[in-house]
Amino acid sequence: MNNNQQIVLDNDGKSIWKFLAGELKPRGKWFTPFNIISVPIILLGLALIVIRFWKGLGEVSNVTQEVPWGLWKGFNVVTGVAFAGGAYVLTFMVYIMNMRKYHSIIRVTVLNGFLAYAFYAGALVLDLGRPWHIFNPIIGNSFGASSVLFLVAWHFLLYMVAQLIEFSPTIAEWLGARRAHKILSGMTMAAVIFGITLSMLHQSGLGALFLMAKEKIHPLWYNEFIPVMFLVSSIFAGLSMVIFEGSISDKVFFDQISNKTKLAQKDIIIGLSKICAGTMFAYFFLQLLVFIHGQHWDLLNTGMGHWFLLEMLGFVLVPMILFFVSYRNNNITMIRIAAILTMIGVIMNRLNVSIIGYRWDAVVRYVPSWMEVIVALTVIFIQIWIFRWVINRMPVLRDSPSWANEHK
Amino acid sequence: MDGFSYSDIFATKGIEYLIIITFLILLVPFWLVLNKQKQISSTIQKALGFLSASILKIPQGLFYSRNHTWMHMEKSGTAKVGVDDLLLHITGAVKFKIHKNPGDEIKKGDLLTEIDQNGKLLRILSPVSGKITNINSTINENPSMLNEDPYGKGWIYKIKPSNWVAETKTCYFAEEATNWSAAELERFKDFLAVSMKNYAPEPSMVILQDGGELCDHSLSALPKEIWRDFEEEFLDLNRL
Repeated sequence: MNNNQQIVLDNDGKSIWKFLAGELKPRGKWFTPFNIISVPIILLGLALIVIRFWKGLGEVSNVTQEVPWGLWKGFNVVTGVAFAGGAYVLTFMVYIMNMRKYHSIIRVTVLNGFLAYAFYAGALVLDLGRPWHIFNPIIGNSFGASSVLFLVAWHFLLYMVAQLIEFSPTIAEWLGARRAHKILSGMTMAAVIFGITLSMLHQSGLGALFLMAKEKIHPLWYNEFIPVMFLVSSIFAGLSMVIFEGSISDKVFFDQISNKTKLAQKDIIIGLSKICAGTMFAYFFLQLLVFIHGQHWDLLNTGMGHWFLLEMLGFVLVPMILFFVSYRNNNITMIRIAAILTMIGVIMNRLNVSIIGYRWDAVVRYVPSWMEVIVALTVIFIQIWIFRWVINRMPVLRDSPSWANEHK
Repeated sequence: MDGFSYSDIFATKGIEYLIIITFLILLVPFWLVLNKQKQISSTIQKALGFLSASILKIPQGLFYSRNHTWMHMEKSGTAKVGVDDLLLHITGAVKFKIHKNPGDEIKKGDLLTEIDQNGKLLRILSPVSGKITNINSTINENPSMLNEDPYGKGWIYKIKPSNWVAETKTCYFAEEATNWSAAELERFKDFLAVSMKNYAPEPSMVILQDGGELCDHSLSALPKEIWRDFEEEFLDLNRL
């Protein structure tokens, strides 16, 4: 029962509010390169967001009636959600397939996924002309049940709840709430199964949104299999993000990571590279199949065609080969390079479908304004700030307190 | 040829079928190569006498202490204790000096045994506290064969532990042990590069600093001073 007293002592003499107030104070150095870059951008971005809600969307954004979906949807929502796919792939591997090796990175991945969804749903609000309507599919003012958006809205909402439940034992450990920890840990498995179902549905659902724009999307990117492509590519997009994010965490949060986790890291990255190589191999053939099926080879020798070939060969085939070779040679550096190439490829693919290939034949093309770019970056930077705040305080990367393992 | 006509291969989805068949045919070698390559390279490394993480024997059911000793609890409640495969690969053939007798008490961190290779010694400290019940009298019979079976015939003492759960908490177990051994091997490479500079007359006779491969038994030809440093860096349980 020593542990019990320890916990009481930890929070002793402080009410929960004092503890929270203490935790809210900033820690560590202020003048880091990341802060110097991100703080001015965030301040400028917040000012632009105020202008956007005060004066209206047209003041800051270049979206039009013709192209209603701009950078905030194409980049923050559609691309960001693909990168958040690591959470459902890893929870599937650890909790369903029981691959315990990957357990040490599950919390950081789920946290990353949860924040991604919370912020990208936020970015969606920015891009809606009448943002208060976002609640309609939830509260039933007008469900719009025949629209794919209805599906996506509910999946986003439910999946955020599921991810919060998956992550909640960490919060309970941080607060020293033992009873809550026990209850919340018991809910993890249900939340995981629910979450995997939802993610697979809405990763493809995001693709299904574009099925309605058949005439507007360039034929090299439009096909009736976009939902399948989005789902398959979210697997390696998410895992590449996990590899990339893990490499940065290794350095930035060095003091947080326990010794045993550090040793396991290399093995984890090598294991993930194998999965990436396998799924990208299948994805490449799916793309080839769809391309042949569409019979659009005459378009290959145009500007858009070259761009398409660059995406498929340079940012799908090449990183796939890199993953394959570096898995065999245990070459961590090459795996990281492959992960970065893959991420560039996924960004290209999502932007090609949602922005670059969208209304590609219009006389006046949509080009995001500088203000849109700043706001898009602001959303990502604020997310990273909160991510850092959570990691420095909660047992995400470091080991759980010993009482938390007792009833396992 | 009435009634016969060529059909359009696109209309019949013929090309699509061919691509899927090609995919399935390519998937087989893709998967085989992806999974097999590592076994082959480890066989080659073993044959060439290189020391790499892939040739180390690390049974997953043993506890590995930070000073390169292992422990295995038997059904009777006594634990076998010995030194791990990595240490034997590094030192080459050695003899063990047995200082304790059955019935002696030993504490974690006490001197357990000494490894002796022609007068060069490494002190091995005990990873566990308890009472010694048995001594392996055959341990020094065939030193060069010890590498083949470090966890079977290679046990040194049987100890009835007195504080097993607490003392094994810091040990490596299962895949942790595999990862740790690989990291220790990397650390040993760095160690050699540094201490070779300090003591060895001919630089770089054992190792390339740019991550070249280690030879098996790389410590055996090196002078006493390096053995002493090695003991301090890798075997001193009270410091690690």
